[in-house]
Amino acid sequence: MRKLVTVFLCLLLSLFQLQAQNRTVTGTVTDESGKPVSGASVLVKGTTSGTLTKENGSYSISVPSTATALVISGLNLAPKEIKLGKGNTLNVSLSSTVENLDEVVVTGYAREKKTQFAGAAAVLSGKVVETVPVGSFDQALQGRVPGMLVNSGSGQPGTSATVTIRGIQSIAGAGAQPLYVIDGVPLPAFDMQTINPNDFESITVLKDANSAALYGARGGTGVIVITTKKGKSGPTNFTYRTQYGITQAPDFSRLNLMNTAEMFAYEEREKFANTPGWTYSPNNPAIPVGMTAARKQFLYDSIKGIESDWPNILYRTGISKTHEFNLSGGNEKTNFFLSAGMFDQQGIDLGSSLTRYTVRLNIEHKSNNLTVRFNNQIGYSISKFSEGEQLGNSPRNPFQMTYRAKTYENPFRADGSIIFGASTPLALRQVGNLLEGIQNSKRDLNQVKLNSGLTVAYKVLPSLTLQNTFGIDVSSDQNSRYINPASYIGSLQQFQSGLAQEGYRLTSQIINTSSLVFSKRIANVHEVEAGAYFEVIRGWSKGMGLTLFNLDPRLTETGQGAGALPTNGAATYPQNSSSAKSGFGIRSYFATARYTYDNKYSINANIRRDGTSRIVNIANREITTWSAGFTWNTLKENFMANQRIFTDLKVRASYGIVPNIGSIATGGYGVPLNGIPNYQGPQVPTFGTTAYAGSAVVGLAPNNPGNPDLKIERIQKTNLGIDFAVWQNRARFTVDIYKNKTIDLFVNQPLSGTTGFGTLAINAGIMTNQGVEFTGSVDVVKKKDFGFTVGLNHSIQKNNIEDLGLVNEYVVGTFIIRKGLPYGSHYTTNYLGADPATGRPMYESPTGATVFTEAQAGQFAKFGTFLPKHQGGFNFDVRFRAITVSALFSYQFDVTRYDNTGNWITRGTLGYHQAVRASRALIDGQWQKPGDVKRFQSSAFDRGFNSSDVADAKFLRFRNLVVSYAIPTIKTASGTTLVKSARFYVQGQNLAIWSPWKGIDPEDNNNISLNEYPNPRTFVVGIDINF
Amino acid sequence: MKKNKLVIFSFLLLSLGACKKVIDVKETDFIGGDIALKTVANNESGIIGAYAAMNVEMGILLNATLADEVKPGEFYNAGTTHEWQYSSQDVGLRDNFTAFNLYYRIIDRVNRVLVALPNAPAADATQAALKERLRGEALFLRAFCHFELYRYYSNTSVGTELAVAYMETPSLASTARITVTPFFAKLKADMAAAKPLLPSALTDIYRATRPAVSALQARVALYLKEYTDAVTFSSEYITALPLAARASFPAIWTDANNSELAFKLSRTPSLGGRIGSLFQGTSANSSAISQTAWVPSAKLMGSYDQANDVRFGVYFRTEPLLAAAGRPAQLVAKYRGTTYGTPGEHVADAKVFRTGEMYLIRAEAHAETGNLVSAAADLNTLRAARINGYTNVVLATKDAAITAIMDERFKELPYEGHRFWDLKRRNLPVSRLLADAPNANAQTLAAGSFRFLLPIPNPEIQANPLIQQNPGYTN
Repeated sequence: MRKLVTVFLCLLLSLFQLQAQNRTVTGTVTDESGKPVSGASVLVKGTTSGTLTKENGSYSISVPSTATALVISGLNLAPKEIKLGKGNTLNVSLSSTVENLDEVVVTGYAREKKTQFAGAAAVLSGKVVETVPVGSFDQALQGRVPGMLVNSGSGQPGTSATVTIRGIQSIAGAGAQPLYVIDGVPLPAFDMQTINPNDFESITVLKDANSAALYGARGGTGVIVITTKKGKSGPTNFTYRTQYGITQAPDFSRLNLMNTAEMFAYEEREKFANTPGWTYSPNNPAIPVGMTAARKQFLYDSIKGIESDWPNILYRTGISKTHEFNLSGGNEKTNFFLSAGMFDQQGIDLGSSLTRYTVRLNIEHKSNNLTVRFNNQIGYSISKFSEGEQLGNSPRNPFQMTYRAKTYENPFRADGSIIFGASTPLALRQVGNLLEGIQNSKRDLNQVKLNSGLTVAYKVLPSLTLQNTFGIDVSSDQNSRYINPASYIGSLQQFQSGLAQEGYRLTSQIINTSSLVFSKRIANVHEVEAGAYFEVIRGWSKGMGLTLFNLDPRLTETGQGAGALPTNGAATYPQNSSSAKSGFGIRSYFATARYTYDNKYSINANIRRDGTSRIVNIANREITTWSAGFTWNTLKENFMANQRIFTDLKVRASYGIVPNIGSIATGGYGVPLNGIPNYQGPQVPTFGTTAYAGSAVVGLAPNNPGNPDLKIERIQKTNLGIDFAVWQNRARFTVDIYKNKTIDLFVNQPLSGTTGFGTLAINAGIMTNQGVEFTGSVDVVKKKDFGFTVGLNHSIQKNNIEDLGLVNEYVVGTFIIRKGLPYGSHYTTNYLGADPATGRPMYESPTGATVFTEAQAGQFAKFGTFLPKHQGGFNFDVRFRAITVSALFSYQFDVTRYDNTGNWITRGTLGYHQAVRASRALIDGQWQKPGDVKRFQSSAFDRGFNSSDVADAKFLRFRNLVVSYAIPTIKTASGTTLVKSARFYVQGQNLAIWSPWKGIDPEDNNNISLNEYPNPRTFVVGIDINF
Repeated sequence: MKKNKLVIFSFLLLSLGACKKVIDVKETDFIGGDIALKTVANNESGIIGAYAAMNVEMGILLNATLADEVKPGEFYNAGTTHEWQYSSQDVGLRDNFTAFNLYYRIIDRVNRVLVALPNAPAADATQAALKERLRGEALFLRAFCHFELYRYYSNTSVGTELAVAYMETPSLASTARITVTPFFAKLKADMAAAKPLLPSALTDIYRATRPAVSALQARVALYLKEYTDAVTFSSEYITALPLAARASFPAIWTDANNSELAFKLSRTPSLGGRIGSLFQGTSANSSAISQTAWVPSAKLMGSYDQANDVRFGVYFRTEPLLAAAGRPAQLVAKYRGTTYGTPGEHVADAKVFRTGEMYLIRAEAHAETGNLVSAAADLNTLRAARINGYTNVVLATKDAAITAIMDERFKELPYEGHRFWDLKRRNLPVSRLLADAPNANAQTLAAGSFRFLLPIPNPEIQANPLIQQNPGYTN
């Protein structure tokens, strides 16, 4: 009995023990391909207790008996809920998703959990730039991120887009680009052509003060943080990718230009002197001197028969191809990712191309408390440009000749050789000269690029990590320009025998960031993280260049053999070579702290002090700023426990002040083919040389007064955001509203004439940017064999100049900076059409009356701004079994731009008609006789630039389409895996555009459309094979 | 733990030790700040920089086109200025006559030298002498430019009326205009200080000389109606530089000799611009002669004894090629330079002071002080030097004397930048012949019209809250 009682008690006790005690569940987490997932989070459902998987994907978690399920989630992997059964082993396979990439936000210094992240950021998978056939990855970001305007100003392969995050935040620094950071190492903007975006794992756009706080003064206009791929422990992966395709010129028909017959009729109608349509017209009684009537008729007929198709002559179908190998793998201690790539794209412009070779090696090694990471990319690229493009406004610029060249010019002889030489309106040689110029000139940029970072982290204590990141970014740019001395174009150069220019520039930047971060979870509900950082950045630039004339006509592309230069009797001769160097430094101290309670509330704050050599005045050189943020994960609240609508609902708020180093005006040193910035020039009086004929002494004159009081402008950024998901996370939404206020705004203060100068950059203004951003993504269908996801992002952005200090307005180029108006407001006369009685142009006077000369016309700022108020994008992803179709559209509206091309082709005067091919709009739209009510004035009068050239530039662009087919695993008969997976795809970029714009392309990165290299249409086919 | 401490220590050492100077990186490759005007030689460059901006062409065009020295030639787009319709926003004024910015820019350049020069060490006696000369040039140019500003925007002898701001140091602050009395106190002090520092020798008249200061002093005295001073200073100049003989007079305008000249601005085909193109464009060659903007007025040409006055043949010419083509053929010849299509076409040095002007200043001053005999003597001497077979006249009354002297100024000094200001100074109207005027309404600018002074330019009104606009202009 006694024994029995003991047994019973023991049983009872053990029962109690079973109930009270936690059991331990173990298992392994793998991804779809069976590779172990390290660092995945394993949580007991309904609690905050959890663990992370180890390198080999294994985990061990203590589970209370009350627990019903485990929730397992990992980076880039869809979370999965697994019911707890009897067994103590649970192996889980997670499927990867792009959406869930945003479970963490990579701010660069840390991976922050989204539940604790208070800022405004958009996380993109590297897939959005992977395999997109553009030479510079930033171009592929258009339409992807609300609030981020990405506009491409050139179709030259490898040219960067202009990226503006949440509006123009500075007048002086209007073009300041966001800070790009690859694995902690800054990458200069506009320098992307030698970076291989296929190595990217994620791209995070940090938009507010709190998320970018760790970048301080460098991140004033936003930060784009890029991480590159890492190897995973497990079997080694070998991937080969290749792509082949074409680039095509866009459709130029929207220019609506006259053909030869129409031009002849128009020239005859307007009786334009020196045009074949009138000079040789049978209706023109005058017969040119020295010409017979028969000859005149012959010329009339033969020129009228010419119909050159310029898009076919000036553009080509370019070939685009890539090859890439990558190798990744590792074990528990060490992983690596190694890639080698080649990208080669011919532009649509004859002779333009980008060829890029890159190698990347990423290694990570962990040993006890020490982690060492090395990320390194080395690349070499060759960019070839059309020499004529560099000339800008010139008949040798092919983009200008697209609409300037008359269809009745024939540039080829019967044998196909080019007709070139002096051009007159009656014997046009302009395109001939352009083509001869392209054949006999070269404009290349060879770049060697190194971007490398080494991070060493050491866990001093389990809760205390000491880390140091050292990074280098180096670009070596070798620019050359040659004009063949033996060519016609070479004979037009100074000293009549070609031209050679070489420019070399080395730009380098090092960064060192040291940090000590304390991180601890207390009593399982209190998470504390605090860090102290010290960072130093030092940049250098050095440029040198030379110009040679009078080249040896026997040699075509060299300065060797160049002859001596005549001095024309002068005692001295100017130097034709130059060099310059410059540099800057930034030093920052900063501290961060975050407290999170039960994953429900998270509050963070940081404070920092930045100093930079770019401010001359020692008193203004350093600046202290701070930011704070708060996150509320509402689903963790008890009162939300029973709702079934939301599967995610987070509220975020942040405020902070960010200094904006990028907007500090810089001067420049003149070096052939390269620019070297002078970081301090505008802050001290600078002098330039001048000459007075009355003295042999070289004159010296101040060219800039210098403002010694300049300080860094600051942006106060407020952000409120909400993230929510419904329908079991199948519909995910994010809404952010923000207000950015730039204070101490650099303003070009007009100076009194008594100072001897025109303007001075001072800190005097205030500018605000407010906006709303929306992102939504819905998995409309989510089945095993069929999926359909729709995504949309839209942002509304309003800029306003609040204050300009002592002045209320000043004019910058074609737009006005005026208190109360947005930046970029076009400022010009208001054109009212042709006067029906006389055909004179009519304008609005300052008082609203109609006047007939430009001098009497008022200037107005009521024609909109070139920065779109609305922009966004939407995408469709359809998956049917192994086939996936992804389409991306981008759009912008509420935007106007100056259509300079449009002005020229509708100018309607003799002078302009002789210089350009006119628009068909003139045929019916130009005043001819009293009583005509027409838009365009009589050809007897000129019109100038005015409101008739400011046109709606809204557009909807079919930006990208990918159709891909996933090829299943291929095994040999014996069962050996030959190909683990493969993908075949067809991709198109810039497929179509819908816009009321009459110029070549409504998308541009500035206020005026003129001479741009049009964005091409690209089609490629590609295959990725994973062995 | 020992290992840990070592790691921490080395980190701290690495980060803090290496980076003290990182925020003190200096730009080293440009001329700016303290180093720009460091040596005496640098300061000489600074002064040459001021000469490089020196300009009398603006005044030549203004006095020719706003007064009665020219009439429109083959193309005419200067209606607002030639017909006196300008406001402070007028584009014609902005593009051609923004003296406000031009002269203050030169003043800023010399003021920078005046600040830097005392700190520039003189290595030897030559440099010490050069230093003195540079200071003299800076002060002279400062006085000269301020006087030009006064002529455009003030031109009054009333001490309590507004002159313009007198800038004595480089300053970025907005500055108000001051009245005539303190303005000229400063201007005269600069001239007096400059005078002994400048060379009296006329070896380099492309730069300021001592007689040039006398000439400026004489001009200033005339405008301020300080006639005793005007006699004194013009006499200094006349003593130093007698009138040119009639035979050598034409060569003054071809720059073949420097008779009568104490200061002129050098102009070459490549530097300084072409004065003659104020009136006529430069031509590709003689068979494609460029358009003429302004031709001499009939009134001016008709005022000479055309057969005997050496000035008529020097100041004007008739171009047969244009006459043959039926184009306006009577041209301003004073700054013709070399022939059509050559590099030197329309290129000539800009004469700043001439003995002829000094005689007329002295004559006017004598007449104003009632010394009609001396006035007549000066007028007769000048005329005798210019006109073959001239017979002396007697000036019976002061009014007759002033009228004769003003007529002589019209004939002696056209296209040298005097006429419009002389009319203002004497409170006379601009009165053009109907044949010279573009239309009947543009024949006369009434004496005392506010348009005899240019408006302070609109950008200045916007930029400078302290500026005072001239009367008659609403903005």
